[in-house]
Amino acid sequence: MMAETTVAQEKRIRRFSTPRIVEHWLAMLTFGTLVATGLAQSFFSLDISRWIILKAGGIDTIRFIHRFTGVVFLVATISHVAIAAMGIILRRWQPSMVINKNDFMDAIHDIRYYLSMENSPAMCDRYSYKQKFEYWGILTGSLLMVVTGLVLWFPVVVTRFLPGELIPVAKALHSNEALVIVLLIAIWHIYNSIFSPEVFPLDTSIFTGYISRERMIREHPLELAQREGVRIEEIMEQGKGLHEIGSEEALP
Amino acid sequence: MKGMMGIIVLLLHFLLTATFSAEPAIAREPALSRDLTALSDDARSCLGCHGKQGVVKKFENGELVSAYVDAIKFQASAHSFLTCSQCHTEFSANTHPSRRFRSKKQYQIASSLTCRHCHPDEQIRGKPIHANLLRGEKEGKLSLCTECHGAHYIMPVGGGKVFAAEEQYCLRCHGHALSMTFRDGTPQSLFIDKSILQGSVHNKLSCWDCHYGFSSEDHPKRTFSSKREYSIASSDSCRRCHFDKYSKTLEGIHYAMLSKGNLKAPVCIDCHGSHSISRGSKDRAVTTKGCQQCHPEIYSIYAKSVHGKALLDYHNQDVPVCIDCHKAHNMTQTHTLDYRERIPEICSSCHANKAIVEKYGLSTDVVKTYLTDFHGVTLGFYKKERETLEKPARPIAVCTDCHGTHNIISTRGTDAALLKANLAKRCQQCHKDAPKNFPDTWLSHYEPNMRSAPLVFIVNLMYKIFIPILAIGLVLQILLHIWRYSVDR
Repeated sequence: MMAETTVAQEKRIRRFSTPRIVEHWLAMLTFGTLVATGLAQSFFSLDISRWIILKAGGIDTIRFIHRFTGVVFLVATISHVAIAAMGIILRRWQPSMVINKNDFMDAIHDIRYYLSMENSPAMCDRYSYKQKFEYWGILTGSLLMVVTGLVLWFPVVVTRFLPGELIPVAKALHSNEALVIVLLIAIWHIYNSIFSPEVFPLDTSIFTGYISRERMIREHPLELAQREGVRIEEIMEQGKGLHEIGSEEALP
Repeated sequence: MKGMMGIIVLLLHFLLTATFSAEPAIAREPALSRDLTALSDDARSCLGCHGKQGVVKKFENGELVSAYVDAIKFQASAHSFLTCSQCHTEFSANTHPSRRFRSKKQYQIASSLTCRHCHPDEQIRGKPIHANLLRGEKEGKLSLCTECHGAHYIMPVGGGKVFAAEEQYCLRCHGHALSMTFRDGTPQSLFIDKSILQGSVHNKLSCWDCHYGFSSEDHPKRTFSSKREYSIASSDSCRRCHFDKYSKTLEGIHYAMLSKGNLKAPVCIDCHGSHSISRGSKDRAVTTKGCQQCHPEIYSIYAKSVHGKALLDYHNQDVPVCIDCHKAHNMTQTHTLDYRERIPEICSSCHANKAIVEKYGLSTDVVKTYLTDFHGVTLGFYKKERETLEKPARPIAVCTDCHGTHNIISTRGTDAALLKANLAKRCQQCHKDAPKNFPDTWLSHYEPNMRSAPLVFIVNLMYKIFIPILAIGLVLQILLHIWRYSVDR
């Protein structure tokens, strides 16, 4: 979202600022902890769950860790939303993560590309439709997790104002939504940032803050054109030199 | 017969109070009531005075003893052919010396020696009980013949036959109305009903398998202060064969009470009986009756419960009785975490067993739904934590916290609003400020369905559809991506 580095033709391009890198680390660690402690409780009868819970010091300890981490996660999520909203409202940031009509067109384009009906993948802006799908999926899921988590933590308070049946509903939502998020991360995110041939062995941009220009040409040509103040055709012309899609190491 | 302190008294006489008896002498008695012709002249002249009530002998220590002799009873006795002077040697129709004795006891000792003139040691030694008493005499412990046999109304001891089985041997005496007195004065019948013995599970055993120490040669003297003390000691006999059960009782609460000195705590024979001992678990209602003897309040609560009613009113043998939850021999203290953690397991031994509960239209889901819900999961881990981490656990709600223990009632046919109100009170015991609708948070042992919990059901259903679609969609997209990539290369 922050794109201050505008030196044209630079090999590496700054993609993420330090606060975004910190944010990712925080999300990664809290998410990992929440998944480990949460799934262990959800699938309590499995040997691995029992091992985790007893190693951690018992069910009360696991619940404490889960709730404490949940609070950190809650703060991180809310501050992320608040900062993004402020950035967009104060016009400091482009609303680059907002889903628009082009994303649907891109998705259809890519499917046609996969089925060999198009010669090149969709031209994406700062965030591709895949990244937006993942971002919004996880953000809304996280908000749902935070709310239902709080309901399960304080059932007595909640039932004072709301019907009692909401507690088992919250439990159903919390455990099912957890699976959805875990699936999104485990299948989609891990594939796109580790196993996808374009980034293998690891997409380092969220850790280093930098992305190669070649990858920008391939994956975010619209953003690159805007950033360098050139027309998209010029970027596409440069892209033709890259016969091999895949890691830049493959280039001559 | 009066018991003497320090002596175990075994009485060997026939009760004369019974009008009808197997003994011909007694059967004839009414016809002879006023006819004393069978007695000697000598006896009849003594009875002139001693046959009247009110003749009293006073001893030096002030003890008063009636010198009255019932002529009818004397005539029916084994010694009716004797004259009075043959035993009371110093007395006759002509002489009636005034003799002085310090006490009744001293007089009885003196008179006992008279018996030995006709019944020397060699003769009486044949009976094990006498053999034992004679040994005692050598050690200086005098035994009084009259203590057991009486004085004027001595009855003939039937028999003289040789019995093959020791049971019959013992019943030679114990088949008759014998009795004894414990040191505290309580009498105890020693009569054994042969038919009861034969109906017991121990009918193949000999008497001395349990009454060890006793045999045709020996009949040791027992000096128990009370019947209770004897009952408790008798458990040792059971232990010799039933060691497994005995060792279980060592863990039990009753044994602990007993060893702290509470003699009321039950021992083997209190529940199983002694000579009438029968196989357990024939009619489960009988078992509960045993517990009722000491726990009447709990029994009456249980009798009103859904289990108790089924057992007592409908003779239902499926329902739990006391020992199913508390165990029979190693019953433990119930107010412990250990016991508490076992409760779901105890209830599920029936309520998770389809063969038992399904015929009553009960669901076996009750246990599963408990164990997979918050309370059940917590309880399961607390149990493991105490085992592996030795971590102290908090009490957590188990079956009995909502359903009760002895007073469990059926939830069927009870007003739902009342059930909910009662349940809310139970919730509040742990969840202090829980509002009235708090019980709605619990799915009432139902797997969520459209009727019981529509929202939960719909949420689960939607995810059940959505999650596979999502997973398949993502995987498909990845596969397509890889495929196109490899084609492009």
